[in-house]
Amino acid sequence: MNIPQPSPLELRLSAFIDGQAGDEERHDVEDLLVNDPQARSLHDALKRGADLGRRAFDDMLKEPVPLDLVRTIKNAPLPRRAVRLPQAPRPTLSFKPSGLQTIAACALLFVIGGGIGYMIGGNPAASQFSMLSMPGASNRDWLDDIIAHYRLYARQTNHLAEIPAERPADILEWLTTNTGVGFRIPDLSDSGLTFEGARLFAAGGTPVGQLLYRRTDGDGDGDVIAISFTKLRPEGNRSIEEIRNDTSLVSWVTPLATYMVVGPSSAADLDDIAAKAAGLI
Amino acid sequence: MTQPSPSSDIRRDLVALLPRLRRFALTLTGSAAEADDLVREAAGRAIQKSHHWKGEGRLESWLFSMIRSTFTDEAKKRRRADANAADDFPPENSRPSSALACLPEGLASVFLLADVEGFAYAEAAAILGIQPDLFAARLCAARLSLAAAAAETSERRA
Repeated sequence: MNIPQPSPLELRLSAFIDGQAGDEERHDVEDLLVNDPQARSLHDALKRGADLGRRAFDDMLKEPVPLDLVRTIKNAPLPRRAVRLPQAPRPTLSFKPSGLQTIAACALLFVIGGGIGYMIGGNPAASQFSMLSMPGASNRDWLDDIIAHYRLYARQTNHLAEIPAERPADILEWLTTNTGVGFRIPDLSDSGLTFEGARLFAAGGTPVGQLLYRRTDGDGDGDVIAISFTKLRPEGNRSIEEIRNDTSLVSWVTPLATYMVVGPSSAADLDDIAAKAAGLI
Repeated sequence: MTQPSPSSDIRRDLVALLPRLRRFALTLTGSAAEADDLVREAAGRAIQKSHHWKGEGRLESWLFSMIRSTFTDEAKKRRRADANAADDFPPENSRPSSALACLPEGLASVFLLADVEGFAYAEAAAILGIQPDLFAARLCAARLSLAAAAAETSERRA
């Protein structure tokens, strides 16, 4: 279908309908509409056409949106960005050795390294030593425990919490005594989260306290979000933001403990919740 | 939950705007399946480039531009893949079956942006990558085509 070319009068009237005409042009067109029946009928036709089109487009909004399209967008990974979470202050040491100090340090390290190598070479149990010196995948193991506990209890409707939210004093005493981590119960109602209670479990052989919240409004209504804390440290003492088994985990480290916010991978606001909880816990 | 600001998580804004984004995509592609593919591709781009969105103006304007540029890119790819293709638009039988089907190709998106979404000529023309004069002419042509369709419908009823 070719695009029809409107006449100058039609263009003037169309622009007049949209208020795109200047003052002088507007007066001219108003006079024309009073005096020229053909212009008046054209003006009415343009308005009728616009009304018909608007109604047709409004009807299109009533069609349901495909669920897979919504899911694709909601689960799309965000580009990496820095999330400012509380961390231990970095020491500001200035390390500028002189040339002589550098040579002396190199020589010392060479002697120490040679000595250790000599001892290992002369020790028949060397193979066992090499196994001990390998830091295994223990870090992954205890984070996997955290995820596994979340996945287990997030599906519970009746047995979500070990101590219900109505007993905050009991929760504080039970979790503080067993984890050795001092905390407050953050009020996250601004984020649409209602506190449901708390639970204690072990991850990597160390007690972990877990505060459980349920989303009561918004897109993921009914989702469980957990804030966990423990004295264990992630590898490299750094914050983690990752997804495992459809479960998202955002962690931050303080000098006394590691805190983690755990939720379904579809929860797009987990980092916001973590930033908020970090200031309140 | 409170409505998120555009900078907090663009994915939520995209989901909220999804019906309108699909409608705009449909004016470009002419078929619902292709419109969904186009929105999916453009939404992915928008998420990856969300740091470019500074919160100035309407988010829809930025997203509509993203959809239009994605559509243009895809059309170029299709042209390269199939040198024999006559144009960027789908065949006539895949166009929407509503009153909009009476619009010549390229007019539905113009009409949508001006008369439904309420964009000014200059902004809407920028979204579609055309001159404001051409935009005004196409908008007028769209209204005339719709008026003719309305007259035809009432004649048939009478």
